[in-house]
Amino acid sequence: MNPKKYLTLTRMGIMESLQFRMSTVIIFVGNLLYLIVVYFLWKAIYASSGQEVVNGMTFSDTLIYLVLATALFNFMEMYTVWQIGRAIQSGSIVLYLLKPMEIRRYIFMEYSGNFIVNFFATLFPTFIVVNIVTHGAVPLGLNLLYFVVSVVIAVMINYNIDFFVGTICLYTESIWGINIMKQVIVLLLSGATIPLAFFPESIRNIVNWLPFQSIYNTPLTLLLGKTADIKDVAVILGTQLFWFLATYAVSKLFWKISLPQITVNGG
Amino acid sequence: MAPVIDIKNITKEFKVLNRREGLAGSIKDLFSRDYKIVKAVDNITMSIEQGEIVGYLGPNGAGKSTTIKMMTGVLEPTSGEILVNGKLPYKNRSKNAQNIGVVFGQRSQLWWALPLVESFKLLKDIYQISDEQYDSMMKLYQSLVDIEPLLHKPVRQMSLGQRTLSDILAAFLHDPKIVFLDEPTIGLDVSMKAKIRTLIHALNKEKNTTVILTTHDMGDVDALCRRIVIIDKGKMLYDNDISHLKGFFGSYRTLKIRVDGDLRKESEVIAKEFPALKVGADEEWISVLVDEEKISVMDVLTKLQKERRIRDMQLEEISTEDVIKKIYEEGVE
Repeated sequence: MNPKKYLTLTRMGIMESLQFRMSTVIIFVGNLLYLIVVYFLWKAIYASSGQEVVNGMTFSDTLIYLVLATALFNFMEMYTVWQIGRAIQSGSIVLYLLKPMEIRRYIFMEYSGNFIVNFFATLFPTFIVVNIVTHGAVPLGLNLLYFVVSVVIAVMINYNIDFFVGTICLYTESIWGINIMKQVIVLLLSGATIPLAFFPESIRNIVNWLPFQSIYNTPLTLLLGKTADIKDVAVILGTQLFWFLATYAVSKLFWKISLPQITVNGG
Repeated sequence: MAPVIDIKNITKEFKVLNRREGLAGSIKDLFSRDYKIVKAVDNITMSIEQGEIVGYLGPNGAGKSTTIKMMTGVLEPTSGEILVNGKLPYKNRSKNAQNIGVVFGQRSQLWWALPLVESFKLLKDIYQISDEQYDSMMKLYQSLVDIEPLLHKPVRQMSLGQRTLSDILAAFLHDPKIVFLDEPTIGLDVSMKAKIRTLIHALNKEKNTTVILTTHDMGDVDALCRRIVIIDKGKMLYDNDISHLKGFFGSYRTLKIRVDGDLRKESEVIAKEFPALKVGADEEWISVLVDEEKISVMDVLTKLQKERRIRDMQLEEISTEDVIKKIYEEGVE
């Protein structure tokens, strides 16, 4: 394995995403609007409950969580479903298949440059701003290291799920509905739109057994320093790693059995 | 030497759902198991040597792309044998990719937003091209086309012609044994077409690359290919030198003359003089289709001249385009 072969794709990705400066600005504005909505929505929720602490979280806890979740979403969202879906529809999937590199790796590496740009453009600044505004709501310690490790695994779980859903496009030949469905399921069940603490007990139990909470809930919990015990951290990261391996295996297998849709039945 | 592409009796079948009409039909289709088998490629055999440029022709939907996809390893044949560089292409797709280059007409593999040179550098790394090979390739490209201004231009700002040119250069960059060009000159102006033909010809000469060219432009075929393969409805119609092709329908030439008086009446007189020939007339010309195996054009002209004053004349060779059109319409006898 030659790392240069892969890193060159990362480099291209960075260069390409820097070409689209305006889109960064627009995403920034869009997020700001979203966060304003989130702020007033949760303010209303807390006001109507009449309590300071709901489900173990204060208003500012919830808000910090959701702001960071939004930043994390913008960092992690790869639009892989669209990319695979469109490649299938237009037939340009052939060009991917004819690269001297496995398609899963190629598409991931092709996007990887955006992670680096997004980190400096959204995730890191959000983190700084949150910490300044809240006078240090996020502890600065080992939790940052756990967070980084956890995000790396989360990114890959997210990619595996995206690739799995993208593969479904081979059968359906449509992208929009499938992508929306995926997005709703992932964002809801991962705790990206509503903190998992707010879920009813029974649903929470189910969610805990699904891979989605590993994408947003796990890294954010680690970041906010709610788990200090090293044993707990190991269990959490271990679970995440398990989900990475499981989603990797499933999505790889699904692609393998679906590829004949192209190679046998034609694109 | 073993051929680079060796195909024996390959057939490719697709399962297609029989679709019904109307809304009710569409709803029924959701549950339908009513498939029909379509043979896109039907029992084709051919072998292609290193360094050949083969024109792969056929009307739309003849099965050309399907064959090409099987050669590149994207499609697996339903039956038959296919060997590319001595290997099964669909089993070794990633390895096979190292030895082939592709240009699919309107699909570009170049990075849209970045200058061309970045795409080249990427290809250099993913195909693991050595610095020396890359430099020598660049030198070769520079000697063939004025590539310098293109290299620093973002691909999205290029004209279609420049982009196609760049895509062809990109496909040859890793010095593959075989390059597949699928309608490379589609939508280009005459001068760009000529430029691209010269480029393909030069690259083939210089690198001894096998080129499989599918096209609907007979100009491409005349300029580049010595050998052509024609398929229609999945079946092979013709596989031979292009020079044989014209002989296929006898050595026909069209003699066109202009005389005084009414051309239509005159053409009827001529038709009586030469009962064996096909004579027609339009506003400007009387045209006589001469089969040179039976009578020479000169003889016909001499005879015609004895009876009347010829004010103007033209001699037309039957073009590749005419022959191909005839094959598409009538098949090969």
